[in-house]
Amino acid sequence: MASSYWDSTQRRNWTYTKPELADIRKKLEDSERVLVSQYPLPDRRLLSQYFAQQLQKLGKPLSVRQQALATAQIYIRRFYTKVEIRRTNPLLVVATALYLACKMEECPQHIRLLSAEANHNWPDFGPKEPSRIGECEFALIAEMNSQLIIHHPYRSMTELQSSFPLSQEENNLAWNIINDHYLTDLPLLHAPHLIAITAMVLAVVLRPQQSTHQVHAANVANALQALSNPKAAPGANGPGGANIQIRIQKLITWLAESSADIEAIVDCTQELISLYEVWDQYNEKVCREQINRFVKGKGLEK
Amino acid sequence: MLSGYTSKKRVNERYRIIGFISSGTYGRVYKAQGRNGETREFAIKKFKPDKEGEVQYTGISQSAIREMALCTELTDPNVIHTVEIILEDKCIFIVFEYAEHDLLQIIHYHTQQSRKAIAAKAIKSILWQLLNGLLYLHRNWVMHRDLKPANIMVTKAGEVKIGDLGLARLFYKPLHSLFTGDKVVVTIWYRAPELLLGSRHYTPAVDLWAVGCIFAELLSLRPIFKGEEAKMDSKKIVPFQRNQMMKIIEVLGMPTKERWPLLTAMQEYAQLQALGSTMRSSGRTRTLKDWWQTTMQNNQYSPGQGNSPGDEGRDLLQGLLEYDPQKRLTAEQALQHPYFTAGGEADKPSKNCFGSVKIEYPHRRVSQEDNDIRTSSVPGTKRSGLPDDSLIGRPAKRLKEG
Repeated sequence: MASSYWDSTQRRNWTYTKPELADIRKKLEDSERVLVSQYPLPDRRLLSQYFAQQLQKLGKPLSVRQQALATAQIYIRRFYTKVEIRRTNPLLVVATALYLACKMEECPQHIRLLSAEANHNWPDFGPKEPSRIGECEFALIAEMNSQLIIHHPYRSMTELQSSFPLSQEENNLAWNIINDHYLTDLPLLHAPHLIAITAMVLAVVLRPQQSTHQVHAANVANALQALSNPKAAPGANGPGGANIQIRIQKLITWLAESSADIEAIVDCTQELISLYEVWDQYNEKVCREQINRFVKGKGLEK
Repeated sequence: MLSGYTSKKRVNERYRIIGFISSGTYGRVYKAQGRNGETREFAIKKFKPDKEGEVQYTGISQSAIREMALCTELTDPNVIHTVEIILEDKCIFIVFEYAEHDLLQIIHYHTQQSRKAIAAKAIKSILWQLLNGLLYLHRNWVMHRDLKPANIMVTKAGEVKIGDLGLARLFYKPLHSLFTGDKVVVTIWYRAPELLLGSRHYTPAVDLWAVGCIFAELLSLRPIFKGEEAKMDSKKIVPFQRNQMMKIIEVLGMPTKERWPLLTAMQEYAQLQALGSTMRSSGRTRTLKDWWQTTMQNNQYSPGQGNSPGDEGRDLLQGLLEYDPQKRLTAEQALQHPYFTAGGEADKPSKNCFGSVKIEYPHRRVSQEDNDIRTSSVPGTKRSGLPDDSLIGRPAKRLKEG
């Protein structure tokens, strides 16, 4: 881990305990009681999945790198701890977060190009002109107090592999788990290296079965169990089981030596499990409609 | 509501503008005093929208975004402190702590008014503080890329602070090669040889070269490599900076592939060889030792009178002005150099570069002609990283634009 994380604004100003985060959100909702009861919204993780999907749609034709998408996701999450979502046009915030993230991650996109792409994707509810993105950029930066530098687990994971190298398929799986964690509150709760360790642990334990990027809850539960009881590791009875068991034993030794905060890793794992559990309920149409209802109701798309 | 951004903080409610300090391609800098019981002084850098009189939001330039992000992230006694950033009326205001002096101003005072060299002790303190600030930046993966005397601030209390992060960048694993981002970086006199030779993979070592140039300038009171910049042609092809390279060779001699193994891989190596053979035939190359002796004599540094950077100083300068960026001293190594560590307690660098020296440097000039931070206009252009700090150029520019 680069020494800079410990003094970073991310650690000092944008990392919370769970009760702190819950409190911030409660205060925000309490100040907008009528609005909140008038326009119910899906689970925050499902909304996050919707935003992630919209970011993908916007970013893909422009070949935006994953790290910029990840930064945009964190900007959106931070912004909505400061501003009630029902007071905003989320698609404008999504487009703006991506525009800003691309600049910060050194892969800038022209505001006109991005605006055109947004218009193409969301003709009715997206930002109509580049100037709207430019204006929203001011709001986004001001709410984040110009604290725009994000430390991601990707970098930590590369560094951690000098002491615990992953195979190609484990690495891919861990990478996907990191991508998934942006759908949860984990980026506001834990240091990036803990997320990276969690992703590595899960990838090693779950490794062979998964071909899709979606890891199933049951498997993760097994993984957790494996942490406390390596003999019960999944796959231990299947073909090559002995090898896997050795691998997991190595992992556990490495974890012990790394003096990482095991409690935090368990917490990260649980957050991910519950994400995968709730994931099945995701329905893009429902999210879109619920968002559109307040955007239209409050005339926020204009 | 997002329809219509309004700032929660207002510049004029929080600060009283005392006057105008300077302008650059990004916008202008004002001196200000706090309101509401805040009595400190501040420097406020105002970024203008790209186009003058722009009534719509056009998106903030990437360099302004970088500067804002880095300014809020960094905290070090030797890096200028950012108090806050205000986004108001399509403009960005970065509020900095105020520093009364900068190194360009101090050097200028010694050449124009006092006509005496800067005390060796003061130089040691300046360099020590500058390197500490740079070590902090590099440890945080930040390359400054535009170090020059005008960007090194000095407070009334003699604290040295690195300023102007307008060209600074994070260098950890850039998504694009750093070369493709901004084709020209660092004011030409302080530009490292690997940049002049077209290196694509440059490193924080470019900042250490600039520190070497600044060290030399503090001693001799004039830029050590005062070349003329070859301008970009109409096709936007970056030309070989022949004249600047020549100035360096005149002082340091030709770089050799024995001392700098990757030299032959440089894009402009052929150009360098051609330049080298012309210069050899005219016998215009010397060594840093010659430059050092002349400077010591001219500016009357003498160990006998206890006012000399000593042989350690010469060795440190040599280590900073090392051609091969891989062999050049890092900020950390430079701070451990005997120049700072050898000798008794009296030789140790001071935290106050003015120390006991009683020189009354003139205060920063502040013009009264433009006191309205919110309405004044200046042609806003994108920053290109071209030099803007000739010794004569600055006051003249002030009059012209102030």
